[in-house]
Amino acid sequence: MPRPPTNREPPQPWRLTRRQLLRAGALVAAATLGAGAVLAAVRTRGYAAPPGRRLVAMSAWQFVVAQHVARRIVAPDRPDDPTIPTADAVDIAGFVDAWMARLPTRVRRDLGRFFAVIEHVAPLGAGFASRFTRLGPAEQDVVLASLEASSIDLLRAGFDGLKALVLMGFYRDARAWSVVGYDGPLVGRPAGGWRAPGAQP
Amino acid sequence: MSAGAFIAGRDLDGDMVIKADAVVIGTGAGGSIALRELARAGHDVIALEEGALSLPRDFDQREDVMIPRIFQDAGGRATEDMAIRVLQGRGVGGSTVHNTNLCKRTPDAILDGWARRHGVQGAGPADLRSAFDAIERDLSVSEIPASMRNANNEVLRAGTAALGWRAGPLRHNRVGCQQSGFCELGCAYDAKQNALKVVLPAAVDAGARVYSDVEALRVTHEGGRVTGVVAVARDALGQRKAAVQVWSPVVVLAASAVGSAALARRSGIPDPHGQLGRGLRMHPGAVAAGAFDREITGWRGIPQSYECTEFLSHEEGSDRRVWIVTAFAHPVGAAAMLPGFGPAHMAAMRSYPRLAVLTAMVHDETSGEVDVDADGAPILRYVMSDRDRAQLAQGLLACARILLAAGATEVTIPAIPALRARSASELDRLDLSAVRPHSVPITAVHPMGTMRMGEDPRISVVRSTGEHHQLQGLFVADGSLFPTSIGVPPQISIYAFALHLAPHVIERARRG
Repeated sequence: MPRPPTNREPPQPWRLTRRQLLRAGALVAAATLGAGAVLAAVRTRGYAAPPGRRLVAMSAWQFVVAQHVARRIVAPDRPDDPTIPTADAVDIAGFVDAWMARLPTRVRRDLGRFFAVIEHVAPLGAGFASRFTRLGPAEQDVVLASLEASSIDLLRAGFDGLKALVLMGFYRDARAWSVVGYDGPLVGRPAGGWRAPGAQP
Repeated sequence: MSAGAFIAGRDLDGDMVIKADAVVIGTGAGGSIALRELARAGHDVIALEEGALSLPRDFDQREDVMIPRIFQDAGGRATEDMAIRVLQGRGVGGSTVHNTNLCKRTPDAILDGWARRHGVQGAGPADLRSAFDAIERDLSVSEIPASMRNANNEVLRAGTAALGWRAGPLRHNRVGCQQSGFCELGCAYDAKQNALKVVLPAAVDAGARVYSDVEALRVTHEGGRVTGVVAVARDALGQRKAAVQVWSPVVVLAASAVGSAALARRSGIPDPHGQLGRGLRMHPGAVAAGAFDREITGWRGIPQSYECTEFLSHEEGSDRRVWIVTAFAHPVGAAAMLPGFGPAHMAAMRSYPRLAVLTAMVHDETSGEVDVDADGAPILRYVMSDRDRAQLAQGLLACARILLAAGATEVTIPAIPALRARSASELDRLDLSAVRPHSVPITAVHPMGTMRMGEDPRISVVRSTGEHHQLQGLFVADGSLFPTSIGVPPQISIYAFALHLAPHVIERARRG
């Protein structure tokens, strides 16, 4: 009977224990998050949420960072295809703001600090001496990719969490469902489907 | 005695004091059974549930609406190091509202091991048989026929058949299923024969009162006996609405292995041997996806109707501790699992209808801990052992092998960087060191073991009767009881243990 191969890792002559690694990573990440928070405290001017927007959990600068992050995470594979909704069209940042309001205090605080890391710290780590929101799209992609592949576990986890939230903000919308061939909920489905004229996503 | 009712804490007009023979914290599998049995025995009993009461008309099949409504922490609960996402139910019915209806009894080898090595008495296979039989009758458990097997599960069947691996159909608690595939978001068709539909209404019919939106803050106790519960009712936005004080000589913790242990810790429950909160097991799992050249549309139809047990043994110390089932998600869940972002991510998502997804769930040995932070919120400390990580890697490799055997043109393990293979020989060359926490998305849905049962108070928290070693009148009736991982989905075990232990709770309530 076929069996999967063992495929074991070769023994390593010396290495930190997992707990030591986690502690070290947590310390570095905490220091990074702390630095981000300090920087954010002194560099949160000059941001403006869209007029008329009432934020429930975010500050204006966090909202602007969320907008920039969302635009890159759901950047379309077919830029000229008008059927693909944009991050702004489905109001992903607004969705993240509303979602944050429902999170436990500790998680909300950590996410808020992570926005500071993205805006002020991560660009430096990726080699850019500028705020994230002042970088071009390609440079922003480099910064986000550096977070996704960071050697610091907490930064990777932070990116994964924010990415999941942004993707929920995008794929909650019926306009995004057709991009991936999803036909949507059966409950309340309009005759002709969710993309039928007049259907409310 | 008051008439039974479902009462929404958000509608309370002011503070409330309740006297009862017994109070049950949590309304999932264990809590619902404890409540029903106490009520049927003629006791004045209430349940406190921190989440809301949702009815079939509320389950709108939308991830963005249902996830924050029926999952803890809006679906964002995770281990302290954020390596493992922990999905737990919240609301009347607990995790039985969102689970996929899997019904497997506690394996005999597990029950025998608890008796031999963990000092559990009166809970062997023969002792529990009548409880399992009764629960399966109550919940109308039956095997999912091949005619109701969706394409994703058919991939699992075909792949295991081609490989000659041990596999078979699963049993579920569903009647009148419309095969919509939205089980994890609550059943809009009321087809789940779960705590919400079957057990709690029976408890209310027998006189129990179920308070939703009421969070238990701490258990009160004095002189070695419990005296009640201090709780708070919250409005729809989670803001404090009213104080609730319950006076009762019997308190049953059934708020899950996370919630019960956290509540016990907040309450200063005696813990002379440092056992409270320890022994957390979770069945951590990860996924492998296979791309096919035909449509699978895995989001349609009954999820998880077939299993592969080729690599699953329940003998203690086994190095075959992986259970494989399907794991298809709706777009939000699927998108979050795929590595990368931007145009490449969207391009990958375009293959969504042609993907089949399997999960490898580890019957874990890792022992974690539930603690509380300064605000009393639970902290989950759980760092996968090397042996469990190796099991996960082997399991994902087996998933990939099954997918290829079923005809997948390419398989992907969503690690950073992603592991991809188009053939068995390419699979053999994969570097599985990337299969580790913080590299692959790991999810756990079965917390267990933080208030373990047994006769030796040095290694357990409650007796084999479910009553706390040091605190009279405090019982546990959820997965916290289990001394080890059980290696199967726990809902039937939790229902059955709550029923099995109910006579002890009833007797304590009778004595007052």
